[in-house]
Amino acid sequence: MRSHRTIGAWLARGVWAAAVLLALVGGQDAAEAADQTGHVKTQCEICHSGLGRTAAALPALQFRQDVHADKGFTCVDCHGGDPRAADKQQAKGPSTGYRGRPTGAGIVTTCARCHSDAELMRRYAPTQRIDQASEYATSVHARRLAAGDARVATCISCHGAHGIRLVSDAKSPVYPLNVATTCAACHANEAYMKGERLAGGAQLPTNQLHDYQASIHYRALTKGNDLSAPTCNDCHGNHGAAPPGVGAVANVCGTCHAVFAARFEQSTHKQIFDRACVECHGNHAVQPSSDEMLGSGAKAVCVTCHSPGDNGLAAADKMRGGIERLKGDIAHARALVDRVANQGMEVSDQALALGEAGNRLTLARTEIHAANPASLDPIVAEGLAIVAGVDTAGQAALAELRFRRKGLFGSLAAILVVVVALGIKIRELDRARRSP
Amino acid sequence: MPTTQQRLLTWLDERLDLSELRHFIAEKGVPVHAHKVWYYLGGITLFLFGLQVGTGILLLLYYRPSAAEAYESVQFIVTQVEFGWLIRNLHAWSANLLIAMAFAHLFSVFLLKAYRKPRELTWLSGVLLLFLMLAFGFSGYLLPWNELSFFATKVGTVIAGSVPLVGTFLLRLLRGGDEVTGATLSRFYGLHVAILPAATTLLITAHLLLVQRQGMSVPPGIERRMRAGGRLRQMPFFPNYLLRDVMLWYVALGILAALAAFSPWELGKKADPFAPVPAGIRPEWYFLAMFQTLKVIPGHVFGMEGEVLGIAGFGLAALWLVLVPFLDRRASRGEPSPAFTAAGILALTYLVAFTVFGYVAALRGQ
Repeated sequence: MRSHRTIGAWLARGVWAAAVLLALVGGQDAAEAADQTGHVKTQCEICHSGLGRTAAALPALQFRQDVHADKGFTCVDCHGGDPRAADKQQAKGPSTGYRGRPTGAGIVTTCARCHSDAELMRRYAPTQRIDQASEYATSVHARRLAAGDARVATCISCHGAHGIRLVSDAKSPVYPLNVATTCAACHANEAYMKGERLAGGAQLPTNQLHDYQASIHYRALTKGNDLSAPTCNDCHGNHGAAPPGVGAVANVCGTCHAVFAARFEQSTHKQIFDRACVECHGNHAVQPSSDEMLGSGAKAVCVTCHSPGDNGLAAADKMRGGIERLKGDIAHARALVDRVANQGMEVSDQALALGEAGNRLTLARTEIHAANPASLDPIVAEGLAIVAGVDTAGQAALAELRFRRKGLFGSLAAILVVVVALGIKIRELDRARRSP
Repeated sequence: MPTTQQRLLTWLDERLDLSELRHFIAEKGVPVHAHKVWYYLGGITLFLFGLQVGTGILLLLYYRPSAAEAYESVQFIVTQVEFGWLIRNLHAWSANLLIAMAFAHLFSVFLLKAYRKPRELTWLSGVLLLFLMLAFGFSGYLLPWNELSFFATKVGTVIAGSVPLVGTFLLRLLRGGDEVTGATLSRFYGLHVAILPAATTLLITAHLLLVQRQGMSVPPGIERRMRAGGRLRQMPFFPNYLLRDVMLWYVALGILAALAAFSPWELGKKADPFAPVPAGIRPEWYFLAMFQTLKVIPGHVFGMEGEVLGIAGFGLAALWLVLVPFLDRRASRGEPSPAFTAAGILALTYLVAFTVFGYVAALRGQ
C-alpha cells in the first residue's frame, strides 16, 4: 500500500513538473496568458489545465465557462493561494492563504462570503438577492448538514462548482427546464436515498421525478414552453428547500391558483382535508382537472369520502348538474352561431357573448372549490341568461336567413317575369321591323 | 284624346324644342353582325356603376369614416338597418362584377380594334375609367376597417411606395403619414366618395358623348367587307337595342340578389394595428395578378430591386395601354394588326393565369 502511494505521489509530482515546464518553455507569463475568449489565465489554470484528462484539470477547464470568470474572479477568490507562483509549493504555501477545496458547510460559507455581501453584490449583480445562505440555513438540507450528514445538497450540488452559469442560461442545471433532473440526481437515486425518512418515519420515496414527468405541470413546462409552469423549487422552495407542511399545501398551490385557493379557504373541506388540494388533485403527478371529478360518477373524486345519500354527495351532484347544463347550453348556442355565421350572417356580437358565457363557466368551475351550491347557482344562472340571449339572437338570424331566401325567390320570380316580358316585346319589335 | 305622356312631351317640346333629340333617337342604330354581343358590355358596366352610386349613397347615410367607428358602423348597417345587409352586399358584389365587366369591355374593344381612328379619345377615356374603377376598388376595400382590408392596404401602399422616384411621396400621400391609420381611412373615404365619383362622372359623360357622336365601331374585317360593297344591317337603338340592354341588366340584378342572399360579403374582424399580420393576406382578385407577379420576381434583377422593376414594368404596360390607338398604325389604316391582337391575347392569358396562380398560392399558404 505504501509503495503504491509513493509511486502515485511521484507520478503526480511528475505531471505537475511537466505542466510547469511546458508553461515556462512556452514563455507564458501568468499575468498575460489569455485564451481565445480573452480570459486571462492565472498560474493555477495554466498548471491545472495542463494536467490532461485528470480530475485535477477539470476545474481549470470548466472555469473558462463560469459566470464568475466572466466577472473577473479567479481560483484564489474561493481557494486562496498565490495565482502567480509557478511552483506548487509556493502557490499553496501557508503564507498564501490557501484554503484548499471547501467541503460541506464550508462550501456554503465560501459562496456566502460574496453572495451575502450586499456591498459586493451591488457591484457585480445588483438585482440578485443576498439571502440565499440564510434561507439555506432554514432548509432540511442545511439542518441535516448541521447534524453531520455530508451527503445533503449544498450550493455546488445544484449550481455546479467550476462551470457555474446564470440561472437564466438554458444550460444551467437550475434553469427551469433542468431543475427537476437536477433535484432528481439525488432524489430519484434509490441507493443514495436509502434510509432517508419522511417526518412520519416512512421511507422517503424516489418516484417524484417519474410522477412529475407525468403531470400537467411538466407538460406545460416542456411541451407548452411555459417557463412559469411549476417545477420542484416552485412548490418546495429552492435554497430553503423543504416539503410544504400539511397546512401550507393550499398556500403553495394558491401561489398560482389564487382564486381556487381562496374558494377552498371558504369551504368546509378546509377543516377536513389533511392534505388540502392534494386530496383531490394529487401532488407530483397532478393531472388536468375535468368536470368528471365532481359528483358521483365513475371518475368523481367526491366518492372517495362521500357515500350515496349523504348531503355532501347530493351537493356535489347538484353542482355538477349546474355546470353540465351551462356547458351543454354553451355548446348548443355555439353550434347555432357557427351555423348562422357559416351562412354569412354577421353574429360577432353573439360570438363575443358566448366568450362571456365561457367566462361564467370558468368562474363556476372555480366556485365549486367552495363546495357550496348556493354560491355556485348565481354564476350558473348568469351564464345561462347570456346563452339564452345568444340563442334568441341565433334563432332570429336563422329566421332572417329564411326571410332573405324567400324574398330572393320572390324577387327572382319578378325579375324572370320582367325578362320574359321584355323578350316577348323584343321579339314583337323585331318581327315588326322585319315586316315591310 | 292625347294621353298624359303625350301631353307632357308636348309641354316639354313647346319649351325645349325636342325635335333634334327625337330625330337622334329615331336615327340612332346599332350595327348587327357576328360580334354584336360585345356591345352589351359597355351598357352593363354603366348599369353596375349606377348601382354603385345608388347603393353607395344609401350606405353613406350610416357609414362613419373613422378608425374607431367605421367597422362598427358597417356592422350596424348589416345587422340593424332594415335591408342594410342587402344594400351593402349589392354594393360589394356589384363592385366586383363592375370591374370584371370593365375588364371584359376593355379586352373586347381591344381585340375588335375599336380603338382605331377616329375613336382614340373614346379608348383613352375608357382606359382612364378602368383605372378609376380600380382606384374605387382599392379605396373602398379599406372602408369597413377590418383586419384583412387593413393589412392588404398596408401591403398595397408599400407597393405604391416602391414606385421609382416618387414612391415615398406617394406612400405618405396615400397613407396620410408613415403608417396605415385613421388618417388613411379618412383619405380613402374622401377619395372614394368625392374625388373619384367626380372624376368618373366627367369621364363617363365624355365617354358616352363620344360614343353617341361617333356611333358604334364595327370590327375591321366587317368594315373591309362593307367597303367592298357588302351590306351591314342596323338595329334601332330605341327601343330594340335598349330593351335588350335592360333585359341583361335585370339578369345581372337577379345574379347580384342571389349572391347577396346566398353568399353575403364577409365583414371579418375589426382591424387591430398591433395584431400580427394574419395568414393569407392578399389583395382583391383584380390586383392579384400584379401582386403575384411582384412575389415571383427575384429580389434583384440586373442590379435593380425586383419590386421596383415590377412596378416600372406595370407602369410601362399601363402607358402602352393608353397609347395603343396611336401605336397601332395598321389598325388605324383599317389593315389587320396581328401583333396587337397577339399582345392582347397574351395580356389576357397572363392576367387570368397569374390570378389563378395567386389564388392557388394563397390556398397553399405561400
